[in-house]
Amino acid sequence: MSPLAPLGVFAFPGISGGDFESIATVTVGAGGASVASFPSIPSTFKHLQIRFVARSTNSDNMDNLFINLNSDSSSNYSFHYLLGDGSSVGSGAGASQTKVVTGRITSGTAASNAFGAGIIDIADYASTNKNKTLKNLTGVDLNGAGNIWLWSAGWFNTSAISSITIAAASGTNFAQHTQFALYGIKG
Amino acid sequence: MAKTYEPIATLAGTGASSIIFSSIPGTFTDLVLVMNGTASSDTNVFVELNGDTSNNYSVTAMTGDGSSASSYRNANYAALQSLFGYFGTAGGMVLGHFMSYANAAINKVVLARYNYVSNLTLAGVGLWRSNSAITSIKVKTSNSATFPTSTKFTLYGIKAA
Amino acid sequence: MATTYQKIETITVGAGGATALDFVSIPQTFDDLIIKFSFRDGTYGSTLSTCYMTFNNTTSNRSTRWLFGNGGAAGSGNAANMYLPNIPGATATASTFGNADVYIPNYRASQNKSSSADVVPEGNTGGTYMSLVANLWSDTAAINRITLTADGNLAQFSSATLYGIKNS
Repeated sequence: MSPLAPLGVFAFPGISGGDFESIATVTVGAGGASVASFPSIPSTFKHLQIRFVARSTNSDNMDNLFINLNSDSSSNYSFHYLLGDGSSVGSGAGASQTKVVTGRITSGTAASNAFGAGIIDIADYASTNKNKTLKNLTGVDLNGAGNIWLWSAGWFNTSAISSITIAAASGTNFAQHTQFALYGIKG
Repeated sequence: MAKTYEPIATLAGTGASSIIFSSIPGTFTDLVLVMNGTASSDTNVFVELNGDTSNNYSVTAMTGDGSSASSYRNANYAALQSLFGYFGTAGGMVLGHFMSYANAAINKVVLARYNYVSNLTLAGVGLWRSNSAITSIKVKTSNSATFPTSTKFTLYGIKAA
Repeated sequence: MATTYQKIETITVGAGGATALDFVSIPQTFDDLIIKFSFRDGTYGSTLSTCYMTFNNTTSNRSTRWLFGNGGAAGSGNAANMYLPNIPGATATASTFGNADVYIPNYRASQNKSSSADVVPEGNTGGTYMSLVANLWSDTAAINRITLTADGNLAQFSSATLYGIKNS
Protein backbone atom coordinates (compact mmCIF):
# COMPACT_ATOMS: atom_id res chain seq x y z
CA MET A 1 0.00 0.00 0.00
CA SER A 2 1.54 3.25 -1.10
CA PRO A 3 1.53 5.97 1.55
CA LEU A 4 1.24 8.47 -1.27
CA ALA A 5 -1.89 7.03 -2.84
CA PRO A 6 -4.85 9.38 -2.62
CA LEU A 7 -7.54 8.33 -0.18
CA GLY A 8 -10.46 9.74 -2.08
CA VAL A 9 -12.72 12.64 -1.39
CA PHE A 10 -14.01 12.74 2.18
CA ALA A 11 -17.31 14.53 2.70
CA PHE A 12 -19.06 15.46 5.92
CA PRO A 13 -22.65 15.07 7.10
CA GLY A 14 -25.80 16.50 5.57
CA ILE A 15 -29.28 16.81 7.02
CA SER A 16 -30.45 13.80 9.01
CA GLY A 17 -33.77 12.08 8.33
CA GLY A 18 -34.39 11.14 11.93
CA ASP A 19 -32.19 8.66 13.72
CA PHE A 20 -30.44 7.49 10.53
CA GLU A 21 -27.65 9.95 9.77
CA SER A 22 -24.88 10.27 7.24
CA ILE A 23 -21.51 10.46 9.00
CA ALA A 24 -19.08 10.63 6.06
CA THR A 25 -18.60 9.52 2.48
CA VAL A 26 -15.46 8.53 0.60
CA THR A 27 -15.63 8.83 -3.19
CA VAL A 28 -12.65 7.75 -5.24
CA GLY A 29 -11.53 10.20 -7.88
CA ALA A 30 -9.51 9.88 -11.05
CA GLY A 31 -6.28 8.06 -10.34
CA GLY A 32 -7.86 5.67 -7.87
CA ALA A 33 -7.21 5.17 -4.18
CA SER A 34 -5.45 2.47 -2.22
CA VAL A 35 -7.87 2.52 0.70
CA ALA A 36 -11.07 4.13 1.90
CA SER A 37 -10.80 5.25 5.51
CA PHE A 38 -13.21 6.51 8.10
CA PRO A 39 -11.10 7.93 10.92
CA SER A 40 -12.47 9.42 14.12
CA ILE A 41 -15.89 7.74 14.05
CA PRO A 42 -18.03 9.33 16.76
CA SER A 43 -19.23 7.03 19.51
CA THR A 44 -22.58 8.76 19.77
CA PHE A 45 -24.57 6.31 17.62
CA LYS A 46 -25.80 2.81 18.45
CA HIS A 47 -25.15 1.11 15.12
CA LEU A 48 -23.24 1.77 11.91
CA GLN A 49 -24.06 1.01 8.30
CA ILE A 50 -21.76 1.27 5.29
CA ARG A 51 -23.38 1.30 1.85
CA PHE A 52 -21.04 0.94 -1.09
CA VAL A 53 -20.45 0.50 -4.78
CA ALA A 54 -16.91 -0.52 -5.56
CA ARG A 55 -14.51 -1.70 -8.21
CA SER A 56 -10.81 -2.39 -7.94
CA THR A 57 -7.98 -2.34 -10.46
CA ASN A 58 -6.94 -5.93 -9.76
CA SER A 59 -6.31 -8.09 -12.83
CA ASP A 60 -9.41 -10.25 -12.41
CA ASN A 61 -13.13 -9.75 -12.84
CA MET A 62 -13.86 -9.89 -9.11
CA ASP A 63 -11.90 -8.97 -6.02
CA ASN A 64 -12.21 -9.26 -2.27
CA LEU A 65 -13.02 -6.39 0.04
CA PHE A 66 -11.01 -6.22 3.26
CA ILE A 67 -11.63 -4.30 6.47
CA ASN A 68 -9.41 -3.43 9.41
CA LEU A 69 -10.83 -1.81 12.51
CA ASN A 70 -8.98 0.69 14.70
CA SER A 71 -5.82 0.00 12.66
CA ASP A 72 -5.61 -3.47 14.19
CA SER A 73 -3.65 -5.76 11.88
CA SER A 74 -3.12 -8.59 14.37
CA SER A 75 -4.81 -11.97 14.05
CA ASN A 76 -7.98 -10.77 15.70
CA TYR A 77 -10.51 -11.32 12.95
CA SER A 78 -12.66 -14.15 11.64
CA PHE A 79 -15.16 -14.48 8.84
CA HIS A 80 -17.93 -16.73 7.58
CA TYR A 81 -19.89 -16.59 4.38
CA LEU A 82 -22.92 -17.91 2.55
CA LEU A 83 -22.39 -17.75 -1.18
CA GLY A 84 -24.55 -18.20 -4.26
CA ASP A 85 -22.50 -18.44 -7.45
CA GLY A 86 -25.28 -18.87 -9.94
CA SER A 87 -25.28 -22.65 -9.81
CA SER A 88 -24.90 -23.70 -6.19
CA VAL A 89 -24.86 -22.35 -2.66
CA GLY A 90 -21.84 -22.81 -0.43
CA SER A 91 -20.50 -21.70 2.91
CA GLY A 92 -17.03 -21.18 4.26
CA ALA A 93 -15.05 -19.69 7.09
CA GLY A 94 -11.69 -18.38 8.23
CA ALA A 95 -10.32 -17.80 11.70
CA SER A 96 -7.46 -15.78 13.20
CA GLN A 97 -7.19 -13.40 10.26
CA THR A 98 -5.14 -10.19 10.21
CA LYS A 99 -7.90 -8.46 8.28
CA VAL A 100 -11.39 -9.51 7.47
CA VAL A 101 -12.74 -10.38 4.08
CA THR A 102 -16.18 -8.92 4.03
CA GLY A 103 -17.37 -8.66 0.50
CA ARG A 104 -16.80 -9.02 -3.20
CA ILE A 105 -16.54 -6.30 -5.78
CA THR A 106 -15.78 -6.09 -9.47
CA SER A 107 -12.27 -5.68 -10.70
CA GLY A 108 -10.14 -4.65 -13.67
CA THR A 109 -11.16 -7.22 -16.27
CA ALA A 110 -14.89 -6.96 -15.57
CA ALA A 111 -17.03 -5.14 -18.10
CA SER A 112 -16.38 -1.45 -17.91
CA ASN A 113 -18.73 0.47 -15.64
CA ALA A 114 -19.65 -2.71 -13.72
CA PHE A 115 -19.39 -2.31 -9.96
CA GLY A 116 -20.10 -4.56 -7.01
CA ALA A 117 -22.33 -3.32 -4.20
CA GLY A 118 -22.98 -4.06 -0.56
CA ILE A 119 -24.49 -3.06 2.74
CA ILE A 120 -22.44 -3.63 5.90
CA ASP A 121 -24.14 -3.46 9.28
CA ILE A 122 -22.29 -3.20 12.57
CA ALA A 123 -24.50 -3.41 15.64
CA ASP A 124 -23.40 -1.91 18.97
CA TYR A 125 -20.11 -0.73 17.46
CA ALA A 126 -19.29 1.46 20.45
CA SER A 127 -19.95 -1.10 23.17
CA THR A 128 -16.91 -1.85 25.31
CA ASN A 129 -18.52 -5.05 26.57
CA LYS A 130 -18.57 -6.90 23.27
CA ASN A 131 -16.38 -8.13 20.51
CA LYS A 132 -17.62 -6.64 17.24
CA THR A 133 -19.70 -8.48 14.65
CA LEU A 134 -20.15 -7.25 11.09
CA LYS A 135 -22.81 -8.39 8.62
CA ASN A 136 -22.58 -7.70 4.88
CA LEU A 137 -25.01 -8.45 2.07
CA THR A 138 -22.96 -7.97 -1.08
CA GLY A 139 -23.12 -8.94 -4.70
CA VAL A 140 -21.58 -8.77 -8.12
CA ASP A 141 -23.46 -9.53 -11.32
CA LEU A 142 -21.60 -9.53 -14.62
CA ASN A 143 -24.35 -10.64 -17.01
CA GLY A 144 -23.42 -14.29 -17.00
CA ALA A 145 -21.07 -14.35 -14.03
CA GLY A 146 -21.09 -13.09 -10.48
CA ASN A 147 -21.91 -13.97 -6.92
CA ILE A 148 -24.28 -13.02 -4.11
CA TRP A 149 -22.94 -13.26 -0.58
CA LEU A 150 -23.95 -12.91 3.01
CA TRP A 151 -20.79 -12.32 5.00
CA SER A 152 -20.25 -12.18 8.73
CA ALA A 153 -17.07 -11.01 10.34
CA GLY A 154 -15.78 -10.87 13.87
CA TRP A 155 -13.28 -8.54 15.46
CA PHE A 156 -12.20 -10.00 18.78
CA ASN A 157 -11.64 -6.74 20.61
CA THR A 158 -14.02 -5.02 22.99
CA SER A 159 -12.84 -1.52 22.10
CA ALA A 160 -15.32 0.84 20.57
CA ILE A 161 -14.80 1.07 16.83
CA SER A 162 -13.26 4.46 16.15
CA SER A 163 -11.87 3.91 12.67
CA ILE A 164 -12.57 1.70 9.68
CA THR A 165 -10.13 1.10 6.84
CA ILE A 166 -11.37 -0.63 3.69
CA ALA A 167 -9.09 -2.00 1.01
CA ALA A 168 -9.10 -4.24 -2.02
CA ALA A 169 -6.54 -6.97 -2.67
CA SER A 170 -3.00 -6.10 -1.68
CA GLY A 171 -1.27 -3.88 -4.19
CA THR A 172 -4.42 -2.85 -6.03
CA ASN A 173 -6.44 0.33 -5.91
CA PHE A 174 -10.08 1.16 -5.83
CA ALA A 175 -11.18 2.49 -9.19
CA GLN A 176 -12.65 5.91 -9.80
CA HIS A 177 -16.35 6.22 -8.85
CA THR A 178 -15.99 3.71 -6.01
CA GLN A 179 -17.95 5.09 -3.08
CA PHE A 180 -18.29 4.08 0.55
CA ALA A 181 -20.91 5.92 2.60
CA LEU A 182 -20.91 5.60 6.40
CA TYR A 183 -24.13 6.11 8.31
CA GLY A 184 -24.83 6.19 12.02
CA ILE A 185 -28.07 4.96 13.53
CA LYS A 186 -29.04 6.30 16.93
CA GLY A 187 -30.37 4.04 19.62
CA MET B 1 -31.85 19.66 0.30
CA ALA B 2 -32.56 15.94 0.73
CA LYS B 3 -32.57 14.48 4.22
CA THR B 4 -30.56 11.34 4.96
CA TYR B 5 -33.50 8.88 4.91
CA GLU B 6 -36.64 10.17 3.30
CA PRO B 7 -39.80 8.72 1.75
CA ILE B 8 -40.17 9.61 -1.92
CA ALA B 9 -43.53 8.03 -2.69
CA THR B 10 -45.92 5.27 -1.66
CA LEU B 11 -48.10 3.52 -4.17
CA ALA B 12 -50.85 1.01 -3.68
CA GLY B 13 -51.87 -1.61 -6.16
CA THR B 14 -54.79 -0.52 -8.34
CA GLY B 15 -56.01 -3.82 -9.61
CA ALA B 16 -53.65 -3.43 -12.54
CA SER B 17 -50.68 -5.64 -13.40
CA SER B 18 -48.06 -3.00 -12.66
CA ILE B 19 -47.18 0.08 -10.71
CA ILE B 20 -44.61 2.66 -11.63
CA PHE B 21 -42.57 5.20 -9.73
CA SER B 22 -41.92 8.04 -12.17
CA SER B 23 -39.90 11.23 -12.04
CA ILE B 24 -37.63 9.88 -9.32
CA PRO B 25 -35.47 12.79 -8.14
CA GLY B 26 -31.72 12.42 -8.60
CA THR B 27 -30.89 14.02 -5.28
CA PHE B 28 -30.31 10.86 -3.23
CA THR B 29 -27.51 8.30 -3.26
CA ASP B 30 -29.43 5.03 -2.95
CA LEU B 31 -33.06 4.05 -3.27
CA VAL B 32 -34.84 1.48 -1.11
CA LEU B 33 -38.06 -0.03 -2.48
CA VAL B 34 -40.27 -1.91 -0.03
CA MET B 35 -42.97 -4.09 -1.56
CA ASN B 36 -45.43 -5.89 0.68
CA GLY B 37 -48.60 -7.78 -0.06
CA THR B 38 -50.08 -10.20 -2.54
CA ALA B 39 -50.98 -10.69 -6.17
CA SER B 40 -54.37 -11.76 -7.45
CA SER B 41 -52.88 -15.07 -8.59
CA ASP B 42 -49.50 -16.70 -8.91
CA THR B 43 -47.01 -14.62 -10.83
CA ASN B 44 -43.38 -13.76 -11.10
CA VAL B 45 -42.59 -10.13 -10.42
CA PHE B 46 -40.38 -8.22 -12.83
CA VAL B 47 -38.70 -4.81 -12.55
CA GLU B 48 -38.07 -2.44 -15.45
CA LEU B 49 -35.95 0.66 -15.17
CA ASN B 50 -36.50 3.84 -17.16
CA GLY B 51 -38.86 2.02 -19.49
CA ASP B 52 -35.99 -0.08 -20.84
CA THR B 53 -37.37 -3.34 -22.26
CA SER B 54 -34.21 -4.34 -24.11
CA ASN B 55 -32.06 -7.25 -23.00
CA ASN B 56 -30.00 -5.15 -20.61
CA TYR B 57 -30.71 -6.95 -17.35
CA SER B 58 -29.21 -9.88 -15.44
CA VAL B 59 -29.50 -11.46 -12.00
CA THR B 60 -27.53 -13.76 -9.69
CA ALA B 61 -29.42 -15.11 -6.68
CA MET B 62 -29.50 -17.72 -3.94
CA THR B 63 -32.61 -19.19 -2.41
CA GLY B 64 -33.83 -21.42 0.38
CA ASP B 65 -37.12 -23.19 -0.19
CA GLY B 66 -37.38 -24.77 3.21
CA SER B 67 -35.58 -27.96 2.33
CA SER B 68 -32.72 -27.12 0.01
CA ALA B 69 -30.49 -24.22 -0.97
CA SER B 70 -30.16 -23.22 -4.62
CA SER B 71 -28.50 -20.60 -6.76
CA TYR B 72 -29.28 -19.46 -10.26
CA ARG B 73 -28.36 -16.83 -12.75
CA ASN B 74 -29.93 -15.20 -15.79
CA ALA B 75 -28.40 -12.94 -18.40
CA ASN B 76 -29.50 -10.64 -21.21
CA TYR B 77 -33.08 -10.44 -20.04
CA ALA B 78 -35.62 -7.74 -20.82
CA ALA B 79 -36.25 -6.91 -17.14
CA LEU B 80 -34.88 -7.78 -13.72
CA GLN B 81 -36.45 -11.22 -13.42
CA SER B 82 -36.32 -13.66 -10.54
CA LEU B 83 -35.00 -10.97 -8.24
CA PHE B 84 -38.27 -9.66 -6.78
CA GLY B 85 -39.55 -13.19 -6.62
CA TYR B 86 -42.95 -14.72 -7.02
CA PHE B 87 -46.20 -13.56 -5.49
CA GLY B 88 -49.62 -15.03 -5.09
CA THR B 89 -52.45 -14.80 -2.62
CA ALA B 90 -50.31 -15.53 0.45
CA GLY B 91 -48.32 -12.67 1.97
CA GLY B 92 -44.81 -11.72 0.95
CA MET B 93 -42.36 -8.85 0.80
CA VAL B 94 -39.30 -7.53 -1.00
CA LEU B 95 -36.58 -5.09 0.02
CA GLY B 96 -34.81 -3.72 -3.06
CA HIS B 97 -31.73 -1.52 -2.75
CA PHE B 98 -30.87 0.47 -5.87
CA MET B 99 -27.29 1.47 -5.18
CA SER B 100 -25.84 4.76 -6.49
CA TYR B 101 -28.89 4.94 -8.72
CA ALA B 102 -28.12 8.43 -10.02
CA ASN B 103 -24.43 7.93 -10.74
CA ALA B 104 -23.98 8.50 -14.48
CA ALA B 105 -20.59 6.75 -14.55
CA ILE B 106 -21.62 3.24 -13.54
CA ASN B 107 -24.02 0.48 -14.43
CA LYS B 108 -26.80 0.10 -11.91
CA VAL B 109 -26.70 -2.58 -9.21
CA VAL B 110 -29.73 -3.75 -7.23
CA LEU B 111 -29.46 -5.83 -4.06
CA ALA B 112 -32.67 -7.59 -3.08
CA ARG B 113 -34.13 -9.64 -0.26
CA TYR B 114 -37.33 -11.45 -1.17
CA ASN B 115 -39.37 -13.29 1.43
CA TYR B 116 -42.45 -15.35 0.68
CA VAL B 117 -42.86 -17.99 3.35
CA SER B 118 -45.06 -20.26 1.27
CA ASN B 119 -42.39 -20.22 -1.45
CA LEU B 120 -38.85 -19.28 -0.46
CA THR B 121 -36.43 -16.70 0.84
CA LEU B 122 -33.96 -15.13 -1.58
CA ALA B 123 -30.98 -12.83 -1.66
CA GLY B 124 -29.92 -11.56 -5.03
CA VAL B 125 -28.03 -9.01 -7.06
CA GLY B 126 -29.29 -7.52 -10.28
CA LEU B 127 -27.49 -5.53 -12.96
CA TRP B 128 -28.94 -3.01 -15.37
CA ARG B 129 -26.30 -2.40 -18.02
CA SER B 130 -26.91 1.29 -18.32
CA ASN B 131 -25.14 4.30 -16.89
CA SER B 132 -28.33 6.36 -16.95
CA ALA B 133 -29.64 7.66 -13.67
CA ILE B 134 -32.72 5.71 -12.66
CA THR B 135 -35.71 7.99 -13.09
CA SER B 136 -38.49 5.40 -13.14
CA ILE B 137 -39.06 1.98 -11.61
CA LYS B 138 -41.85 -0.25 -12.91
CA VAL B 139 -42.86 -3.31 -10.92
CA LYS B 140 -45.03 -5.65 -12.92
CA THR B 141 -46.43 -9.13 -13.01
CA SER B 142 -45.29 -11.65 -15.59
CA ASN B 143 -48.82 -12.62 -16.63
CA SER B 144 -52.39 -11.40 -16.16
CA ALA B 145 -52.13 -11.31 -12.38
CA THR B 146 -52.75 -7.96 -10.74
CA PHE B 147 -51.75 -6.14 -7.58
CA PRO B 148 -54.70 -5.46 -5.23
CA THR B 149 -55.06 -2.22 -3.34
CA SER B 150 -53.78 -3.89 -0.18
CA THR B 151 -50.37 -4.39 -1.78
CA LYS B 152 -48.10 -1.47 -1.00
CA PHE B 153 -44.94 -0.19 -2.63
CA THR B 154 -42.85 2.49 -0.90
CA LEU B 155 -39.75 4.16 -2.31
CA TYR B 156 -37.26 5.74 0.08
CA GLY B 157 -34.18 7.80 -0.69
CA ILE B 158 -30.94 7.60 1.28
CA LYS B 159 -28.60 10.54 0.96
CA ALA B 160 -24.88 10.25 1.66
CA ALA B 161 -22.93 13.26 2.78
CA MET C 1 -44.31 14.77 14.33
CA ALA C 2 -42.52 11.49 13.59
CA THR C 3 -39.47 11.62 11.33
CA THR C 4 -38.84 8.97 8.69
CA TYR C 5 -36.52 6.65 10.62
CA GLN C 6 -37.07 7.02 14.35
CA LYS C 7 -35.99 5.08 17.38
CA ILE C 8 -38.98 3.84 19.38
CA GLU C 9 -37.13 2.02 22.15
CA THR C 10 -33.84 0.36 23.06
CA ILE C 11 -33.79 -2.47 25.57
CA THR C 12 -30.52 -3.70 27.06
CA VAL C 13 -30.26 -6.80 29.21
CA GLY C 14 -28.78 -6.23 32.65
CA ALA C 15 -26.77 -8.42 34.98
CA GLY C 16 -28.38 -11.78 35.46
CA GLY C 17 -29.71 -11.98 31.92
CA ALA C 18 -33.29 -12.02 30.71
CA THR C 19 -35.73 -14.68 29.60
CA ALA C 20 -37.15 -12.38 26.96
CA LEU C 21 -36.80 -8.96 25.45
CA ASP C 22 -40.23 -7.40 25.00
CA PHE C 23 -41.34 -4.33 23.06
CA VAL C 24 -44.83 -3.55 24.37
CA SER C 25 -47.34 -0.87 23.48
CA ILE C 26 -45.71 -0.26 20.10
CA PRO C 27 -47.05 3.07 18.82
CA GLN C 28 -49.43 2.82 15.90
CA THR C 29 -48.07 5.91 14.16
CA PHE C 30 -45.49 4.40 11.81
CA ASP C 31 -45.75 2.30 8.66
CA ASP C 32 -42.86 -0.16 8.94
CA LEU C 33 -40.73 -1.43 11.82
CA ILE C 34 -37.05 -2.31 11.96
CA ILE C 35 -35.34 -4.24 14.73
CA LYS C 36 -31.57 -4.14 15.02
CA PHE C 37 -30.19 -6.42 17.69
CA SER C 38 -26.94 -7.61 19.19
CA PHE C 39 -27.62 -10.79 21.16
CA ARG C 40 -25.91 -13.59 23.01
CA ASP C 41 -27.51 -16.49 24.84
CA GLY C 42 -25.98 -16.70 28.28
CA THR C 43 -27.33 -20.04 29.47
CA TYR C 44 -27.88 -22.40 26.53
CA GLY C 45 -25.00 -24.90 26.63
CA SER C 46 -23.96 -24.75 23.01
CA THR C 47 -22.01 -22.45 20.72
CA LEU C 48 -25.25 -21.57 18.93
CA SER C 49 -28.75 -20.69 20.09
CA THR C 50 -31.88 -20.03 18.09
CA CYS C 51 -33.66 -16.74 18.57
CA TYR C 52 -37.47 -16.60 18.26
CA MET C 53 -39.86 -13.77 17.46
CA THR C 54 -43.47 -13.48 18.62
CA PHE C 55 -46.03 -10.83 17.72
CA ASN C 56 -48.77 -9.77 20.14
CA ASN C 57 -47.94 -12.66 22.47
CA THR C 58 -49.55 -15.02 19.94
CA THR C 59 -47.83 -18.33 19.24
CA SER C 60 -50.22 -19.61 16.61
CA ASN C 61 -50.35 -18.98 12.85
CA ARG C 62 -46.62 -18.59 12.46
CA SER C 63 -44.33 -19.93 9.76
CA THR C 64 -40.73 -19.50 8.76
CA ARG C 65 -38.41 -20.46 5.92
CA TRP C 66 -34.70 -19.79 5.92
CA LEU C 67 -31.47 -20.23 3.97
CA PHE C 68 -28.41 -20.90 6.08
CA GLY C 69 -24.68 -21.39 5.93
CA ASN C 70 -22.77 -23.06 8.72
CA GLY C 71 -19.24 -22.35 7.57
CA GLY C 72 -18.99 -25.62 5.71
CA ALA C 73 -22.27 -26.24 3.97
CA ALA C 74 -25.46 -24.45 3.02
CA GLY C 75 -29.04 -25.58 3.43
CA SER C 76 -32.59 -24.53 4.09
CA GLY C 77 -35.19 -25.14 6.73
CA ASN C 78 -38.76 -24.37 7.66
CA ALA C 79 -40.93 -24.50 10.76
CA ALA C 80 -44.27 -23.50 12.20
CA ASN C 81 -42.75 -20.70 14.22
CA MET C 82 -40.90 -17.43 13.61
CA TYR C 83 -37.17 -18.02 13.86
CA LEU C 84 -34.12 -15.77 13.78
CA PRO C 85 -31.32 -18.33 13.57
CA ASN C 86 -28.74 -18.11 15.20
CA ILE C 87 -27.01 -16.19 17.93
CA PRO C 88 -23.93 -17.23 19.92
CA GLY C 89 -24.71 -19.59 22.77
CA ALA C 90 -23.18 -19.77 26.20
CA THR C 91 -20.15 -21.78 25.09
CA ALA C 92 -19.33 -19.54 22.10
CA THR C 93 -16.21 -17.38 22.10
CA ALA C 94 -16.48 -15.09 25.10
CA SER C 95 -17.91 -11.59 24.65
CA THR C 96 -19.14 -12.39 21.17
CA PHE C 97 -22.64 -11.40 20.13
CA GLY C 98 -24.68 -12.04 17.02
CA ASN C 99 -25.99 -9.28 14.82
CA ALA C 100 -29.39 -9.11 13.10
CA ASP C 101 -31.65 -6.82 11.14
CA VAL C 102 -35.39 -7.50 10.94
CA TYR C 103 -37.69 -5.53 8.62
CA ILE C 104 -41.46 -5.63 9.21
CA PRO C 105 -43.44 -3.71 6.56
CA ASN C 106 -46.97 -2.43 7.05
CA TYR C 107 -47.20 -3.69 10.61
CA ARG C 108 -50.57 -1.95 11.15
CA ALA C 109 -52.23 -3.23 7.99
CA SER C 110 -55.21 -5.58 8.08
CA GLN C 111 -53.33 -8.35 6.33
CA ASN C 112 -50.92 -11.12 7.17
CA LYS C 113 -47.54 -9.89 8.44
CA SER C 114 -44.43 -10.81 6.48
CA SER C 115 -40.96 -9.96 7.72
CA SER C 116 -37.39 -10.27 6.51
CA ALA C 117 -34.38 -11.04 8.70
CA ASP C 118 -30.63 -11.40 8.16
CA VAL C 119 -28.90 -12.96 11.17
CA VAL C 120 -25.22 -13.67 11.81
CA PRO C 121 -23.57 -15.09 14.91
CA GLU C 122 -19.79 -14.94 14.88
CA GLY C 123 -17.06 -16.71 16.75
CA ASN C 124 -13.45 -17.42 15.98
CA THR C 125 -14.26 -21.03 15.12
CA GLY C 126 -15.23 -22.92 12.00
CA GLY C 127 -18.86 -23.37 12.91
CA THR C 128 -21.59 -20.80 12.58
CA TYR C 129 -25.18 -20.62 11.45
CA MET C 130 -25.83 -17.47 9.47
CA SER C 131 -29.20 -17.13 7.85
CA LEU C 132 -31.51 -15.25 5.56
CA VAL C 133 -35.03 -15.63 6.90
CA ALA C 134 -38.62 -15.18 5.78
CA ASN C 135 -41.15 -15.11 8.60
CA LEU C 136 -44.94 -14.89 8.37
CA TRP C 137 -47.57 -14.25 11.00
CA SER C 138 -50.88 -15.18 9.41
CA ASP C 139 -52.92 -12.70 11.38
CA THR C 140 -54.53 -9.44 10.30
CA ALA C 141 -54.18 -7.69 13.66
CA ALA C 142 -51.90 -4.68 13.95
CA ILE C 143 -48.65 -5.55 15.68
CA ASN C 144 -48.52 -3.89 19.08
CA ARG C 145 -46.02 -6.14 20.83
CA ILE C 146 -42.85 -7.93 19.74
CA THR C 147 -41.13 -10.45 21.99
CA LEU C 148 -37.67 -11.85 21.33
CA THR C 149 -36.47 -14.96 23.12
CA ALA C 150 -33.73 -17.54 22.70
CA ASP C 151 -33.18 -21.19 23.56
CA GLY C 152 -31.78 -20.03 26.91
CA ASN C 153 -31.68 -16.63 28.57
CA LEU C 154 -30.39 -13.56 26.78
CA ALA C 155 -27.04 -12.59 28.23
CA GLN C 156 -26.13 -9.32 29.90
CA PHE C 157 -25.37 -6.57 27.35
CA SER C 158 -27.67 -8.11 24.75
CA SER C 159 -29.58 -5.23 23.24
CA ALA C 160 -32.23 -4.55 20.65
CA THR C 161 -33.54 -1.32 19.21
CA LEU C 162 -36.95 -0.96 17.63
CA TYR C 163 -37.28 1.71 14.93
CA GLY C 164 -40.37 3.09 13.27
CA ILE C 165 -40.33 4.04 9.59
CA LYS C 166 -42.78 6.59 8.17
CA ASN C 167 -43.58 6.34 4.48
CA SER C 168 -44.87 9.88 4.12
